[in-house]
Amino acid sequence: MAIDEMERSLRPPADELKPYPPKVITLASGEKMVVREAKREEIGVLLGTVHPLMGVPKDFYDIVAARMYAELLGWYRYRVANEFVLVGAIDGEIAGLVNSRQVSPQLGMSLHTLTIRRGLRIGAQLFAAKMEHHIDVLGEDEVWVVAESPIGFKRWMIEYQLEDRSSRYPDVRHELGGVPTYVLTRELWNAARDVKCTGTRPASDEDLKSAEKLTMPTEYVQIPDFKR
Amino acid sequence: MIDFSMYDVKAPQIDAWKCDSCGTIFYPVPMVCSGCGVRRDPVTNKGWSTFELSGPCTLLTWTRVWNLPEGYNKKFLQFGIVEFENGLRASGRVEVDEPRTGMALTATVEESDERPGDPVNVFVFK
Amino acid sequence: MAARVGIVGIGHTVFGNLSEYDLADIMAYAATDALKDAGFLDRRKEIDQVLVANMASGMLCHQSAVASALVSRMDMEPVPAELVENGPASGASAVKLGYMAVASGLADLTLVVGGEVMRRVTGWNATDIVATMLDTDTEYNMGLTLPGFGGMFTRLYMEKYGMEERDLALLAVKNHDNGFKNTYAHIRAKCTIEAIADGPEAAVVNNYVAEPLRMYSTCPVSDGGAALLLVNMDAPIAKEFPKKPIRIAAVASATDTHCVHNRKDPLELNAVRIAAEKAYKMAGIGPEDIDFAELHDAFSILELAISEEVGFFERGKSYLAARKGETAIDGTLPINTSGGLKSKGHPVGCTGVSQVVELVRQLRGEAEEGRQVKDPKYGMSVNFGGFGNNVASVICAKD
Repeated sequence: MAIDEMERSLRPPADELKPYPPKVITLASGEKMVVREAKREEIGVLLGTVHPLMGVPKDFYDIVAARMYAELLGWYRYRVANEFVLVGAIDGEIAGLVNSRQVSPQLGMSLHTLTIRRGLRIGAQLFAAKMEHHIDVLGEDEVWVVAESPIGFKRWMIEYQLEDRSSRYPDVRHELGGVPTYVLTRELWNAARDVKCTGTRPASDEDLKSAEKLTMPTEYVQIPDFKR
Repeated sequence: MIDFSMYDVKAPQIDAWKCDSCGTIFYPVPMVCSGCGVRRDPVTNKGWSTFELSGPCTLLTWTRVWNLPEGYNKKFLQFGIVEFENGLRASGRVEVDEPRTGMALTATVEESDERPGDPVNVFVFK
Repeated sequence: MAARVGIVGIGHTVFGNLSEYDLADIMAYAATDALKDAGFLDRRKEIDQVLVANMASGMLCHQSAVASALVSRMDMEPVPAELVENGPASGASAVKLGYMAVASGLADLTLVVGGEVMRRVTGWNATDIVATMLDTDTEYNMGLTLPGFGGMFTRLYMEKYGMEERDLALLAVKNHDNGFKNTYAHIRAKCTIEAIADGPEAAVVNNYVAEPLRMYSTCPVSDGGAALLLVNMDAPIAKEFPKKPIRIAAVASATDTHCVHNRKDPLELNAVRIAAEKAYKMAGIGPEDIDFAELHDAFSILELAISEEVGFFERGKSYLAARKGETAIDGTLPINTSGGLKSKGHPVGCTGVSQVVELVRQLRGEAEEGRQVKDPKYGMSVNFGGFGNNVASVICAKD
């Protein structure tokens, strides 16, 4: 679209974030999941992937999907600053997505993690990839984290030993709802990386090609009689 | 006459038991002595005595548990089974950086309140 | 002379996350399936005794006396019903007590039902609740859990016999392959050895749970129900069932020290060995006569250790047999044809009943294609309670 002055004033400053180097993880089933950054042009399949889960109240899917849908549109329409989106794709089919944004070169704000294919720890792998991008690739010092699901969040709290800054609320509050927050510092990430984060780099040309054209899932275990 | 020492703050301690009739030692204490068959009265404990279980021990086996139960917020905890010089064995936490079977450790006791209910005494092998 | 006891009806729910359903409904579903299998649903009030196997409904679902709840759920009043609890060995113990009821002549028809709902509580709470079976002062209070003991046992085994972590992963591949074909399995998804052991990402994909045990060496937390209808084969009623009874050739159990640290040799599972010896004696056979077995692999190391204690393999050598594929469905001694606890799932109190359901399916020739043992005559189950301090075993025969 033509970027006139009005449009420009509504857009965030155009910071160029370092790209996420794609990697491949062989999941327990033997399937290969390519983890790569999504492009704005792929918004259609991203929204289409997330949309059906807005109708699933179980396990907090509805609120996570709805918020992620809004955040993806915010990223696509240049109304959210420095957001990035990573997808996990198996043969091109989206198995999970994570999104996040950089507040400043020192600080990241973790947004959401949405897993479609269950039973293969894809959510855990993509969350770790997100943290890898924040701290190892973008060079931030820390990432603020909250979650909708208490059980999911407790897992992150324990597995990463997240620093509890909830007592500094309201001065320290997460963008998602402005709530008390926990923090993954570089020190904590260094202690967790080897156990939580994996993947083979560089991704082979064949693997990259398989994930070149992203497709929406044909079935959702969360939605028994799903038909697109 | 009141024994006011009962209010003293005692360092946590874990006890083993001895059957005074035949000298067999136990951890934990049974109701019937496997050595001489004598029964223990849990109210008076007459004929049985306790002694502190602590000090040097050998690590028989160990593990690092990553999925801890409700109440524990650490990433992982290390546990092991040790054998004392008197032949008694015990389970407890292991606090060394690189545990190895057969290594010599010292048994200490700490109080823990991670589990529901009153605080309990826990072996920490260092 | 004690009567012969046979199984004329089997029922089994899907195992998995059934936490939205009531425990009594889950058990009733399996039980009515068993009665339908026996063609006896409309005559259910003629049953003499109901025995329910459940370990921890009080803590897991805040429900007690579930045997009574089950009877009403099945519209079976005034049939007598009692609960049998033996930790994770509740199932096989219920089968054993059911056998004793029938063999005594007091209950020609006995319905044994197992069930557990574990997923209504969080994983941390389920771990804690299961840990209550340990000795309180010397084990539970230290923070120890069942996987913790599994890990310590595995380390000892590895150091003594030279087994590697990869050998445990091989068992996961085999069991997931079997479970994939089992309609009732909790996890029906194959896994590859490259992904969980050999590949560069395996250490994270197959993360440690209780070192050296990894995620693919520990069973999932499951809900589910299973049921068996036992009959006195020498009573007239036995003739009224459409399917030929599968005879229970033996039931046996034994105990060992409650505190794991008080085992004389921590690598010896005495309760398993003694229960198996008693079972063989009762059945009049030896380990060489067993054609297939369901062995309690809550931790994959137990599949190996139990197979040695019951005499299938020499101590410390079972992992070598597994490497050669001897315990695969097409091997010389298929183990955990159902997928085992690893893939089929482990609703704790129910597992022992589920194992016997599998013995019957195989002996009847009713297992799914691709996991049917060829012409089996004897099948054996071992149900492991606590960390080996109370073990029950069942042998079934196709006469």
